[in-house]
Amino acid sequence: MTEPTHAPLHTVARGRARWHRIIVRPVLQRRARVAPAAQAIAFLIGIVLALIAGAMLLWGSGNDPAMVYQRMAESSLGGFDALSRTLLRATPLAIAGLAVAVAGSMGLWNIGAEGQMMAGATVAAGFAMVAGDLPGPVLIMLMLVAGAVGGVVLVVGPALARAYLGVSEIITTLMLVEVAIRIVEWLKVGPWKDPESFGFAQISPLPDQASLPGLFGQVHIGVLFAAALLLAFWLAVSRTAWGYELRMAGSSPATARYAGISLQRKVLTALLLSGGLAGLAGAIELTGTATRLEPGLSSGYGFAGIIVAALALMRPSGVAVVAFVFGAVLRGGQSIQTLGVTSSIATILQAMILIGALVAAVLLNYRVRWVRPVGHPSEKAAPPARPARGGAPPSEGSSHPEASGV
Amino acid sequence: MSVSGDAAVSPGTGDGRVVVDLRSIRKEFPGVVACDGANLTVRAGTIHALLGENGAGKTSLVNVLGGVYLPGAGQIWVHGTQRQFHSPADAIAAGIGMVHQEFRLVPTLTVFENVVLGSAPRYLDMGQIIERVSHLAATYSLQIDPSRPVWQLSVGERQRVEILKALWRDADVLVLDEPTAVLTPAEAAALGLTLRSMADRGRSVIYISHKLDEVLSVCDEATVLRNGMTVAQPRSLVGIDRSDLAEMMVGEAAAAIQRPTDQPSGDIVLELAGISALSDRGLPALHAVDIDVRAGEIVGIAGVSGNGQRELAETVAGLRPTTAGTMHLAGVEVTGASPRARSRAGLAYVPEDRLGVGLAPTMSVVDNAVVRSYRSMRRRMMLDLQGCEDFCRRLIERFGVQVGRLHEPISALSGGNLQRLLLGRELTGEPKVLVAAQPTRGLDVAGIAAIQSQIVAQRAAGVGVLLISEDLDELLALSDRLIVMYEGQVAARMDPTQATRAEVGAAMAGTAAA
Repeated sequence: MTEPTHAPLHTVARGRARWHRIIVRPVLQRRARVAPAAQAIAFLIGIVLALIAGAMLLWGSGNDPAMVYQRMAESSLGGFDALSRTLLRATPLAIAGLAVAVAGSMGLWNIGAEGQMMAGATVAAGFAMVAGDLPGPVLIMLMLVAGAVGGVVLVVGPALARAYLGVSEIITTLMLVEVAIRIVEWLKVGPWKDPESFGFAQISPLPDQASLPGLFGQVHIGVLFAAALLLAFWLAVSRTAWGYELRMAGSSPATARYAGISLQRKVLTALLLSGGLAGLAGAIELTGTATRLEPGLSSGYGFAGIIVAALALMRPSGVAVVAFVFGAVLRGGQSIQTLGVTSSIATILQAMILIGALVAAVLLNYRVRWVRPVGHPSEKAAPPARPARGGAPPSEGSSHPEASGV
Repeated sequence: MSVSGDAAVSPGTGDGRVVVDLRSIRKEFPGVVACDGANLTVRAGTIHALLGENGAGKTSLVNVLGGVYLPGAGQIWVHGTQRQFHSPADAIAAGIGMVHQEFRLVPTLTVFENVVLGSAPRYLDMGQIIERVSHLAATYSLQIDPSRPVWQLSVGERQRVEILKALWRDADVLVLDEPTAVLTPAEAAALGLTLRSMADRGRSVIYISHKLDEVLSVCDEATVLRNGMTVAQPRSLVGIDRSDLAEMMVGEAAAAIQRPTDQPSGDIVLELAGISALSDRGLPALHAVDIDVRAGEIVGIAGVSGNGQRELAETVAGLRPTTAGTMHLAGVEVTGASPRARSRAGLAYVPEDRLGVGLAPTMSVVDNAVVRSYRSMRRRMMLDLQGCEDFCRRLIERFGVQVGRLHEPISALSGGNLQRLLLGRELTGEPKVLVAAQPTRGLDVAGIAAIQSQIVAQRAAGVGVLLISEDLDELLALSDRLIVMYEGQVAARMDPTQATRAEVGAAMAGTAAA
């Protein structure tokens, strides 16, 4: 026996609850690899589960779930007009989502895409005031360029601070959202106040020729810009040396440094590009849907872009799909209010669908194993062949009493 | 192959009572089966060696015993009862004490505070606690001052604190994971005495190592793992020699490293003069280091880890700024030059962290193969993807890398294949200087042989090689000149054909005249 070298002074603290020794409990185990197809299926399963949960919510609040869901589907996906309304919302979501994803592929979080959208829209509107006499197509193109510049201007400070001083871009970009929105509010009551609005504070309307031509139904040609940007970014990331460096710097900074890639320059370009895209999204929203600049123009598309990018795992193809689904959910959520569903219930429903998709996408990375404790009744029911103590090791393929894969 | 125990009880051991019995343990990680069919039977009063090559599953197995990992299958029996450990606290309560490779101590607290942390007796004052800790240390001949703060202690002393912690918690079984990897030979000998005194008092020690001489001199029994499976459990190490153990570990006689034939060395291709640099914490890590490497020779760098070898490699590669001194590469001054400029000047660098620095884990095999050459793969604005793939295929073929699919993440490759790819990639640019940091660490026998023969081939081709390694046998066999580093300085320069292991060991401990 162990010679008592010192008195047993203590017992080791056993603070943990005992229940986990009795009941079967799940353990999450990370999967080594997740197939992209499985990702899409999990996304759909998550949405379906959320719809089931949402049905209970609707039923509990006195609505007929079947009718509500039918209206949601019809209004967002049923026919050209419905589809055009979905695409109208998907357009800014896709570009803002892409903006967040560009930064995200470098491991950066551009939380302030909303502010950059407002900045872009503001600079674009300002340009239209100065050069309102230009012919439509020229004016619109220059306004879009001005929008991208506006986004870059708002993000250049955070980008420099992040690249050279290591200041978290999450905080700086987020704080500038407020700044951008307040500037528009100031312009509304101050220098840009419409003199013909008789005391009612609003900014002068855009010139008539400064609105994006329609494509079909409600949607304007901005949706084509969005598609082109997604394609261009996909090509740039997967097929160019620049994209190679971006992927390297994003996935393994130490390797990038080792390969002689300047991390600071990559951080700078990713954030500036991200800001520029968000600004462009703002300008497209302005020229596509609005008659004048307003503080509520972006209405949360920039923040929603974060969700889009995260759900899309920062991939351009994913951004396209998620932005479309998100657009449909927004459109559907809006239309069911005509059925008497209150706007708060509609918003909760929208949130549930997105959370369902998000949770499914995250959970897909894990496998659930049910762990039974030693001596659990279910184990005693079928006792494994136990070798004699200290004897030969049990043969290969002996029972595995502790775990079963799911 | 299984060596059954015919000797009833090993010499100098207890009553043969089984303390720990791990049966058919299986532990799987994503993409890797660390243990499958691993058994371990430890008797009271013995020092039990757990042997196996790197990656054989030793650490995973003891982490199952220590409550760090939940096994996928298999049974844990301690003192004759089946246990299930959900946390290290469960294992400690059952009398299992672990000393990990990385110590878990609070640097600002004193030794005795660290020892009793979390289990301090309430009814004793500080003087009494110190007395008890001192008594415990003396009983097991652990030389340590209980009232010194831990941050002042050497690595060897910190290890003693960890052992004391386990003893304080009354551990019947002490698990040591490669305890001598960080120790000087003298400290290792002292550790051996401590472990023996524990065994003499009826406690058991599980001793993980792959230093065979050490195992033979310290341990009573052994369990040998290969590919996560127990392949031999000799009940006695009497009459067993080094090559027997090596054979059990690798399944075949390990070939001695072939010493490269002598050849005249050429001009100086790498010249470090008075190089100083800081560590990541901003403390001096290198101080006035002078090293020359000539074309066609291998200069070995020996030293206990943490004596500036990592900083030396990074400084040469241009990843760490110097604070003093100059550096010339093939006659060109590269002091302060970027990693890319050095690469263009003819430097190849195999970093210590092959995955994470040398290779980007989540990127594909092709992407990793072209890290040095993608700039020449541009065709107008686009990257020539077909060209990259062809380049990768040639590399794989030339250096015998076994790859599943070219576009899967590189982290799916085994350690040996990762290193073949990394070394191969660095050598395709026809370098003048090769800096290889721990190039064979963690590889299997075949991988080590492949990497060593590549390094020797580079020497024959007239490349100057700076070989940084913790494997003394490798350094003594391959180097033309041997430099020993101690506390960031060159402690000794030796001729590897003349120097003995003891001499090198003394220099590594800082006790030789520089």
